[in-house]
Amino acid sequence: MPPSLGAYPGEGKARNIRAGVPRFTLSFLLLAAAIALPQQAFAQKVRVTDLSDVNFGLLSNLQADARRSQNVCLFSNSMGGRYSITATGSGSGSSFTLNDGSHSLPYEVEWSDQSGQTSGTGLAPAVTATGRVSAASQQTCNSGPASSASLTVVLRASSLTQAREGNYSGSLTLLVAAE
Amino acid sequence: MNKGFRIAAVASLLASMAVAEPALASTQGSFGSTSTGSVTINASVPGRVRISGLSDVTFSNVDPSSPATNAQNVCVWSNTSTKGYTITATGSGSANAFTLSSGALPPVPYTVEWAPSSGQTSGTGLTAGSVLSGQTSSATNSDCSAGPSASASLVVSMNSSTLQGMTAGVTYNGTLTLVVAPE
Repeated sequence: MPPSLGAYPGEGKARNIRAGVPRFTLSFLLLAAAIALPQQAFAQKVRVTDLSDVNFGLLSNLQADARRSQNVCLFSNSMGGRYSITATGSGSGSSFTLNDGSHSLPYEVEWSDQSGQTSGTGLAPAVTATGRVSAASQQTCNSGPASSASLTVVLRASSLTQAREGNYSGSLTLLVAAE
Repeated sequence: MNKGFRIAAVASLLASMAVAEPALASTQGSFGSTSTGSVTINASVPGRVRISGLSDVTFSNVDPSSPATNAQNVCVWSNTSTKGYTITATGSGSANAFTLSSGALPPVPYTVEWAPSSGQTSGTGLTAGSVLSGQTSSATNSDCSAGPSASASLVVSMNSSTLQGMTAGVTYNGTLTLVVAPE
C-alpha cells in the first residue's frame, strides 16, 4: 500500500514551504508597490502655459468696463485634474493694480475652469482658489483640448472714470499647484 | 419782464495722448509640483474732462435800474496730470453770440464770466466761441460726488442799460453752451 501523504510528513512539509514562499513575497511586493507608486510614478504635477500679455490699448470709453479674456492651457495630472491657483499682482501688497509712475489703476482678475469664457470666478490677490479642475490631457495642450481655462482681466468703469491720464502697466503672476 | 435762457454743456471727448508700445513679457510655467506663469498688463487712459452740476439761469421780474447777475457753482473735472482744462462758451445768437431773443424783438446781449473755483460772483469774461485756457480743476471725482462739491463758478449777467431796452412782460430765451477740453 502506498503511503499516504501523512505518512511522509517530511515530504509534505517541504512542499508547503516551496509553495508558500512565492505567494508571501508577491503579496509583500504588491503592497510595497501600492504604497510607493503614488509618491513616485504618480507625483502630482501641474503646468500653466499659453499665457499672453494683456493689452487694453487706448481706452476710448472710460464709462464702460474694459474686459480682456484669453484661453490658457492648465494641465494637472492629479486625480480628476484638480489644481489650485493663486494670483498676485505687482501692486503694493500683491494688489491687482497698474501704475503709471505716479498713479495707480486697480483691476480685477477672473478665472474659469473652461476655455472660451469671458468671465469667471473673481480671484483675490494672493488668496489661493482651490477645487479647480482641468480638462487638459497634455501638459502644453498640444493634443486633446487646445486650452483648458480662461483668464479675464477687468478694468472697472468706476475706476476708469476717476483715473488720471497716463500709460499704465503692471504684471500678474499665476501660481498653480496640484491638489 | 421775464428773461430766461438755458445752459447746455458739452464735455469734450478729445484724447490727448498716444498709446505706449506694450512690452511683451508673458512667461510660461514649467511642469512641476507647482507652475508659475505671468503676464504684463498695459492700459492707456486718455485725457478726459467732465462738466456737471449746471443749472438753468432765470432772471425773473428784474429791476431794470440795476444789473442782473446769476452766479452758480459748477463741477468741472479733469484727469490730466495738471488737472487742467480749457473752456469755450457759445451762445444761441447769431454767430454764437451771447444773446437772448423773443420772436421779432431785437436780441439782447448778456455776459458770461468763468472762475476756476467755486463760490465766486465774478470771473474771467468769456468771448463767444473763444477758448479760455489755463484753467485748473480742484475736483477729485468726475461728478463731484466726493471731494469738493464744486470746482468752478459760472456767472451770467445783464447790465441795466440792456434791461432798460427790453420789452416788459415778454419772455426772452437763449442757450449757452460750454465746451470743456483737457489741457
